[in-house]
Amino acid sequence: MTKQFKVTEVNGVPVVGEGVGFERIRRITGYLVGTLDRFNNGKRAEEADRVKHDVSCCSMTDSRTA
Amino acid sequence: MITEIIKRDGRRAPFEIEKISEAIFKAAQASGGRDYEMAQRLAEQVVALLDTENAVVVPTVEQIQDAVEKILVKNGHARTAKKYILYRNERTRAREMNTRLMKIYEDLTFKSSLENDIKRENANIDGDTAMGTMLKYGSEGAKQFCEMFILDPEHSRAHREGDIHIHDLDFYTLTTTCCQIDLLRLFKGGFSTGHGFLREPNDIRSYSALACIALQSNQNDQHGGQSVPNFDYSMAPGVSKTFRRAYRDNLTRALDIYLEVDNSEMMSKALLAETEEETGVWAAIAGGNGFDEALRARLIRTVDEETADKILRFVRKYAVKGTRRATYQAMEALVHNLNTMHSRAGAQVPFTSLNYGTDTSAEGRLVMECLLEATEAGLGNGETSIFPIHIFKVKEGVNFNPGDPNYDLFQLAIRVSAKRLFPNFSFLDAPFNLQYYKPGHPETEASYMGCRTRVIGNVYDPTREITYGRGNLSFTSINLPRIGIRAHGDVDWFFEDLDRKIDLVIDQLLARFKIQCQKKVRNYPFLMGEGVWIDSEKLDPDDSVAEVLKHGTLTCGFIGLAECLKALTGKHHGECDEAQNLGLDIIHHMRERMDEATRKYGLNFSLIATPAEGLSGRFVRIDREKFGSIPGVTDRDYYTNSFHVPVYYPISAFEKLRREAPYHALTNGGHISYIELDGDPTQNLEAFEQVVRFMKECGIGYGSINHPVDRDPICGYTGIIGEVCPRCGRREGEGVPVEKLQKLGLYRHLNADTIGYHGDINEEADRMVNPL
Repeated sequence: MTKQFKVTEVNGVPVVGEGVGFERIRRITGYLVGTLDRFNNGKRAEEADRVKHDVSCCSMTDSRTA
Repeated sequence: MITEIIKRDGRRAPFEIEKISEAIFKAAQASGGRDYEMAQRLAEQVVALLDTENAVVVPTVEQIQDAVEKILVKNGHARTAKKYILYRNERTRAREMNTRLMKIYEDLTFKSSLENDIKRENANIDGDTAMGTMLKYGSEGAKQFCEMFILDPEHSRAHREGDIHIHDLDFYTLTTTCCQIDLLRLFKGGFSTGHGFLREPNDIRSYSALACIALQSNQNDQHGGQSVPNFDYSMAPGVSKTFRRAYRDNLTRALDIYLEVDNSEMMSKALLAETEEETGVWAAIAGGNGFDEALRARLIRTVDEETADKILRFVRKYAVKGTRRATYQAMEALVHNLNTMHSRAGAQVPFTSLNYGTDTSAEGRLVMECLLEATEAGLGNGETSIFPIHIFKVKEGVNFNPGDPNYDLFQLAIRVSAKRLFPNFSFLDAPFNLQYYKPGHPETEASYMGCRTRVIGNVYDPTREITYGRGNLSFTSINLPRIGIRAHGDVDWFFEDLDRKIDLVIDQLLARFKIQCQKKVRNYPFLMGEGVWIDSEKLDPDDSVAEVLKHGTLTCGFIGLAECLKALTGKHHGECDEAQNLGLDIIHHMRERMDEATRKYGLNFSLIATPAEGLSGRFVRIDREKFGSIPGVTDRDYYTNSFHVPVYYPISAFEKLRREAPYHALTNGGHISYIELDGDPTQNLEAFEQVVRFMKECGIGYGSINHPVDRDPICGYTGIIGEVCPRCGRREGEGVPVEKLQKLGLYRHLNADTIGYHGDINEEADRMVNPL
């Protein structure tokens, strides 16, 4: 059966999706996890701290000799 | 005069002096005594003491025990007193543990996983379900049992206090970690799951179904993940068999159409049997093996050349088309099955990894192409699949450079990974992997178990330095930051204490190995009973597995090198070259100690960069209690994964890989490096590829690239979602007008009260262009 989301009304306009969050898939210790709320407390804190790694600043040859 | 006592639970019971004399006698026995009468006399003194000194009418158990200790000491029975106190303490600890276990059970029962961290110890177990909770009851109970009755008290204390962590303690007495399953060998002649026998498969669809069943069966025999080292090679025969059948079916059809014969089926069967006998080969999807030509020669004995060519063109066209479709369906079903089929009492899907990338046969290539495309398409509603973990083996001359036979698949792997986070990439040219590589022998290609475990070297049998049928037996990790904190900057002391911890781990791994060796083949109906584990096919059900287990690895791991270096030097290895040098010294030393143990015991000891999911929080929690919050060391809620540069530290992708790569060479039990990419990598595949190529160039063994993959279940959008969904414009938890969704082409099937998401239109459009 198809998953059904409830239609509710906001200011007389029928809407769908109230109370439904976004799914955010992340990788921890090699495995993907469907939603962040399955993470344990330590891993939640780690995920929140992650910073992105810049790939534009240096070319391959630069950093090999660095 | 004492006639009654108060038990621990508050109830009253008749007083019996014999119980006191027996307890004293037992303590005396433990230190070599055998005089029961003496014990009786001492018991009488205890009673006298209680009567006079305390003037208690109804003493409690604790008061009696206090009196026993006093009397023993007073009479000069120091050794007996010591034993008695020890026994008393042990009993107290056991009672406290029982209470703690019951408290854990209470929380498991009445708290949701949102409130209860234990239920989220492993993110792939749904702790909110009945079976998930039942699994946790078993696991928590088994852990306490092992701590109290199985472990050497020294190992138990080190584990309890967080010096080391014995992984999968709940399975201590039961099984081993993981295995690389050679499906090719398993399928030959069929196999039994322990619940029923399956014939050797004859079609790519049954190959894929049986692959899932094998992974599921093995998941119940071991406590770790399941991996296939040669997925491409394993599935290729299924494609050959499917093509051969499709060829026959379409020849029958062509004979019907062009020759209008009655007995087309018999005719095509005979023609193919004769051609196969003559050429010694089957019709092959790639052609070029002389089969089509031989068949043509046979056909033109009865029909003109033009008709023969028409027939052959028809047969090839539709046989190829049918085989491609069947293979895609098979791979799509595999991905769906591996994300939905249950194992371990229904609480988890099997933890599966598939290694592939090097089979250059047309059949193996088709398998990989279809598997990658099915993964790219996503699950039923376009969701990203969580399993299997895909590991694409990168190899120069096979798939790394333009002109290599599987270069196109490497490119496809990059595209899929940029959208779906898998595949990860393993590098067979890294020197420590290349040393085992023998062209034409896929069993010598280093394979990884999803989380990172790697098994290939083999001191027990150096003629078989292969991955097939082998895996890790158990592993235990060392808390590096704690040693770093306790060293107070004294590096010599650090190494001395590290050695003590390594000694302890080696000792504990051997103790566990001894227990594992007592198992019989029948304890592992699939892993050993079906010959999945190397050499187990030579054993009978009641044979011991001790000898064949020696092909496995005993592994020491570590966590928090970054915090350890912070504690020792004030800097971690991402920010300082001296710290990096010290970090390499530490891990190099650990590896040397493992090599030394390998030589000493003739067993495969190895060093792993621990994949610490539950552990990352546990160690730091204990250390913060002990040492307080130390900046850069214990001030976060996690210790950094193995040798990684901390996730919070800003560093370029290339610099991070350059600094982590040398640790890959040292951690022969497994390793992985991650890069976090910003933005949507599907829009910048060149950058993605550059990172992968750099991983190879700097000697990474196994790597993967993280990027956000979000999905709005309301409109089905998959990609990066900030605060607002780029497709339907709603915020998290907000409703979106039904009319707007309909304008977007979603929600075509309305009913009165509810409305449903009926698939992702863009995804579906993409699926149409799959070359089927």
